[in-house]
Amino acid sequence: MANQIQTTYENQPMWAGGRSPFNVSYGKLMMWIFLLSDAFTFSSLLVQYGAQRFSNVQTAVTSKWPDPASIFNHFPMMHGLHLPLLFVSVMTFILILSSVTMVLAVEAGHRNSKKEVQRYMIYTILGGAAFLGCQAWEWYTFIHEGARLDGNTFGITKEGYSHLKSVGFGDHFEWEAGDRSNGPVPFAALFFIVTGFHGFHVFSGVVINVVVYIMTVRGVFERRGHYEMIEKAGLYWHFVDLVWVFVFTFFYLI
Amino acid sequence: MEFYTKPGDYDPINYIPHGESHGTKELWRTFWILLGITIFDFIIYFVMPASGYRNLIFIFFGIVKAYFIVGAFMHLKYEKINLALIILVPTVFIVGLIMGLLYEGSALSHIK
Repeated sequence: MANQIQTTYENQPMWAGGRSPFNVSYGKLMMWIFLLSDAFTFSSLLVQYGAQRFSNVQTAVTSKWPDPASIFNHFPMMHGLHLPLLFVSVMTFILILSSVTMVLAVEAGHRNSKKEVQRYMIYTILGGAAFLGCQAWEWYTFIHEGARLDGNTFGITKEGYSHLKSVGFGDHFEWEAGDRSNGPVPFAALFFIVTGFHGFHVFSGVVINVVVYIMTVRGVFERRGHYEMIEKAGLYWHFVDLVWVFVFTFFYLI
Repeated sequence: MEFYTKPGDYDPINYIPHGESHGTKELWRTFWILLGITIFDFIIYFVMPASGYRNLIFIFFGIVKAYFIVGAFMHLKYEKINLALIILVPTVFIVGLIMGLLYEGSALSHIK
């Protein structure tokens, strides 16, 4: 009898009931749907950045988009050196590494190895905290140099303007600012909004990881018989890494 | 795929499929690929002068990195194809948004 019903289910269409159509748990499916909506949120912010940048490349001389290499060129303990991209590459490395330790925790969870899950979760939490520290330093430096949510001191210099004028670019404009004009406001504003929103995701990811770590230590998942919660926390953590890939590409590389 | 013999056996809220370990080999391989691409980005940034082609290279490698993170780390490669499709197909709206707003942005730059 049992076999008969089983055969019936197998021959039925996927959505006919009696089984999970996607073969995932409810919680994991909902985490995926949440991440999809979060991807839309982040992409709308990044696309806004792209649109603002595109609107500032051609004729607007005073509000010429600043070159990220001339701004994000600092490294802790190395004052006065021009080191573009280096610090943010270190941050990327930290986040990728913490992503690996997270996925190793998930893999250990599949083997029901509580000890290994604990160890890898600790590494992941440390990686997230290190990334947040790096971002705090990055913000501190940027704000220290005059960037605000409603202002931006990284315009073009007078020499830069003279050069533009010599090649026949922006002839209609008379230079009125001092040594350096104010840059386009959206540059600093969107930097704070996008990296801040991402940093907040990292922060909440660290909090989730700490909660999951405590639950692991207290043996909640051991009693439950599976470590699926690690997978759900892991999905969120990898998504944070995924967003950083694009923040890194659009804010620093391009 | 797990099947249930009685309709009452399947509980959609508490159903947890048994996750299987695929070993750590692929995960470390993915890590080295991601690290390699990031270092390659770093080199390209200093070797090539800024241009639209360079930006295209960066965006291409960004998408390659996204493929490895979503596929291997988030395990989407091993999920059922239906799940992968409901996650991936809606992202075409993002492509539409990018094209639309970049067009608007460049139109704005002519007004400014």
